[in-house]
Amino acid sequence: MNNSQRPIARKSGLVVQEVPDEVLVYDLDSNKAHCLNRSAAMIWKSCDGNNSVSDIAKLVEGQAGGKVTEDFVWLAIDQLSENNLLEKQISSAFEGTSRREVIKKIGLASVIAIPVIASLVAPQSALAASSCACTTPGNCAVLTGCPNLANCNSSGVCAP
Amino acid sequence: MVSARSGKTLNYPRPFDRELVLESYGVTVKIQSSDADLLAEAEKTARTALVGSVKIIESMDAKQVFGVSSDDTGTLYLFMNGERIATDTLKKRFFKFFNGLLRLAVAEHAPNRVFVHAGVVGWKGKAIIIPAKSFGGKTTLVAEFVRKGAEYYSDEYAVFDEKGLVHPFPRDLSVRDNSFKERDIPVAEFGGIAGTEPIPVGAVIITEFEEKGEWLPRKLTVGQGIMELIPHTIPRNVNTKFALKVLNTAVSDAIILKSHRGEANDIALNLLSIY
Repeated sequence: MNNSQRPIARKSGLVVQEVPDEVLVYDLDSNKAHCLNRSAAMIWKSCDGNNSVSDIAKLVEGQAGGKVTEDFVWLAIDQLSENNLLEKQISSAFEGTSRREVIKKIGLASVIAIPVIASLVAPQSALAASSCACTTPGNCAVLTGCPNLANCNSSGVCAP
Repeated sequence: MVSARSGKTLNYPRPFDRELVLESYGVTVKIQSSDADLLAEAEKTARTALVGSVKIIESMDAKQVFGVSSDDTGTLYLFMNGERIATDTLKKRFFKFFNGLLRLAVAEHAPNRVFVHAGVVGWKGKAIIIPAKSFGGKTTLVAEFVRKGAEYYSDEYAVFDEKGLVHPFPRDLSVRDNSFKERDIPVAEFGGIAGTEPIPVGAVIITEFEEKGEWLPRKLTVGQGIMELIPHTIPRNVNTKFALKVLNTAVSDAIILKSHRGEANDIALNLLSIY
């Protein structure tokens, strides 16, 4: 674990929306949406390429009003890197240890909510998410949420 | 025409020789056609698809261009922005597909609105939003709310303006029977009325029907709620920044609940009693 690393938050190709106590990030390159809780958002915003992991821990401690360890920061960086929210990928600081174990260890000692990033991939096509309309069975193959992916019935629905 | 190589008859769609341009929700749409009947049917379909929010305009420019044509065998062809999208020999099915595609094109490109695939009812001046994919049970729930006295807003789209207010999109409810046949039923047949005014969001209900499912909702944060809405947000890839901003404005004061559900009747009673 190298606490002198200075991660940089990715900016390009992202749309960021602040919501109460959370930050939403939409990745235009991958159609992935992320919801960063307050702790994860504070750490992400501190990743300016100048702050080391140790610096970030101190900064977040000042903002959050509770003890923040370097493991706590690494837990966020690990998730930020995994979700491609940093300029450069950073290898996991917890090799050989499951995230669940790390969370358990940090969570017990922390009065601040542990950093969490929830993610989802939005369907590429708006049609795929909102319609089962078809004229041929070929239309149905990509409409994965419909009752039948191989049949276009006489009503024009991908269904039996 | 006969192919010199295979000897088979080749059919080509007739070329377009007429067109109309319409405007809906700030999007200009050109519809080209090879004959007057098809163009008239396309216009009628557009008015149904966009619930009357259609104005025929004089314009050369259009953001979205559709073409409907046919060949000598009666096969119908649908083009969108120069690309052949569909062919069909069944006219009703063909125009139903066009209906969905046109509505989606407008929903995706409307400059001042955010369309979310969702059922919507109004209750005591606030909207209840039920986002769901197709076959997710939206219409069933919406119909149940309407039977219990809620105002009908839509079984297809929650249409948000920049202030986060929800506008009516009251197309006929699209009800499916057990054999997946669809029938459009006016809201009056459910004993309900359609809302006419834009209203703020009171609740967002994230739910899916589950056999023997029970409505045991947990409250979501605003961020979690928007995450649930994103897959159903039509302009999420075209106008992402505006869409996220509007969703935040729309749901920041709303109750956002998530749970499986059983029968629509139970959840409708439970939710309407909250307010």
